[in-house]
Amino acid sequence: MATELSLGSRAAPDRLRRHAGKILALAALLVWLAAGAPPREVFAPLWEWSPALLKGFALNILISLLAIGLGTLLGLAIGALNLSPLRLLRLPGWLWVQAFRNAPLLVLIYFTTYVFPFEIRVAGHYLPFPDWLKVTLGLALPASANVAEVFRGAVASIPATQWEAARSLGFGRGQILRAIILPQCCKRMLPPWMNLYAVITMGTALASLVGVHDLIDTAQIATNTVNRVGFTVLIYASVLGLFFAYCYPISRFTRYLERRHAFQ
Amino acid sequence: MSWLDAFVQWTGWLGLDYRFLLDAYERGSFVAGAWVTLQLCLCTMAGSLAVGVALAAALVSGRPWLAGPTRLFVEVTRNTPTLVQLYCAFLVLNMLISEVIGGANPFTPFAWVVIVISLHKGVFHAEALRAGIEAVPQVTLEAATSLGFSRRQRLWRVELPLAVRFALPSLVNNLIELVKMTALASAIAVGDITYASILIWTQRDNVLELMILILLFFGLLSFVVNCLGRGLEARLRMPGYGH
Repeated sequence: MATELSLGSRAAPDRLRRHAGKILALAALLVWLAAGAPPREVFAPLWEWSPALLKGFALNILISLLAIGLGTLLGLAIGALNLSPLRLLRLPGWLWVQAFRNAPLLVLIYFTTYVFPFEIRVAGHYLPFPDWLKVTLGLALPASANVAEVFRGAVASIPATQWEAARSLGFGRGQILRAIILPQCCKRMLPPWMNLYAVITMGTALASLVGVHDLIDTAQIATNTVNRVGFTVLIYASVLGLFFAYCYPISRFTRYLERRHAFQ
Repeated sequence: MSWLDAFVQWTGWLGLDYRFLLDAYERGSFVAGAWVTLQLCLCTMAGSLAVGVALAAALVSGRPWLAGPTRLFVEVTRNTPTLVQLYCAFLVLNMLISEVIGGANPFTPFAWVVIVISLHKGVFHAEALRAGIEAVPQVTLEAATSLGFSRRQRLWRVELPLAVRFALPSLVNNLIELVKMTALASAIAVGDITYASILIWTQRDNVLELMILILLFFGLLSFVVNCLGRGLEARLRMPGYGH
């Protein structure tokens, strides 16, 4: 993109040709908006419902952020277990990763929603344990298993010669990990980690199935309340659009990072 | 069914309630659910591979009017939740189709799940195949062209066979993801194993026990797919090509 900008006006016709499809689509949209005269009774309820929809989407994002945060912490701990030279320590980590990577997301969400209690007793007080938090846990479990795998992959991708060189310089195992291997892993883990975040964000859509008032649940309530064909089409299109608007930049940035990493 | 009795007794001793297995009706509905999931898996696997080949062919066709919309479709499919896509298909498209042709809508929820998951995973297959097609050496293609292969023949006889070998590990990975994704069918009340379990545990309140069974079932399916994939990989291996 930067090179295109620096080329300036000389590249303009080229750019026109490259983005012909997008320009056509935009023109078609404008023509439709101008000539097709969008029916007011369809757009007015959408405008009315948009605060509720955005609130639902905010909950989706909150769940995804908490889940990836928890999952990362847990996953790094399990990844560290998996690096241990002792088989006894590696076994639980391996089991964890296998169990939660091979389970369908939906089944895990049902699992955490129905197996955990709806309130927890802490020091004589009953703390509520809301459904959205259970869904967060249900998403954090597979996230942790995937982070552990990403971590393992990143450590394995560092050439073995670096270990040998460091050992010959008199570093201990822990020192090598902390000072040499892990700093390099952070950069390598970033693209797959962001990929995982996008997957988890899309997984939050499943929260609606266990009764969390997220974006999709709100959309369903809205369609049942308004009960108009045009509105139903429009609202599901906007749900799709909202998720796309959030996830697409993440995936573009991931691809950019991957490409930059590949050329190094 | 003495071994079933023994199993229920033994698990009961561990504190797990598997008594629904002794009830012929509930056991039947659970097994039927497993069978539906199996059917879903087989249908979507075939469908997704067909969609994947078609989309990959469109992506590498070199015609902008074909590759452009396909790329748009791929990006939208990859970056939106499958559940929303399923709702868009089942609640929106299905409604529109019903309105146009009246009561006799030929699309069942089962068909919609197969269509949506096939398209969704087909996109991922297409990306893997595209990478495989791009990994086919240029000289091979030039050799094929000089032997008088047309574009279509070249795609079917040279590029795809080599691309499949290159892409097989990611294809198998996608298929395992696909197996897991079929649990989504329960969202629109297709009677798969998850849906059958929901019906049972709302009656008996034995979520944990059914969860274990479901996870074992999906684990077994993934394992079988993985083994088949590995076997195919070994069978198709060409010395000096691919991984």
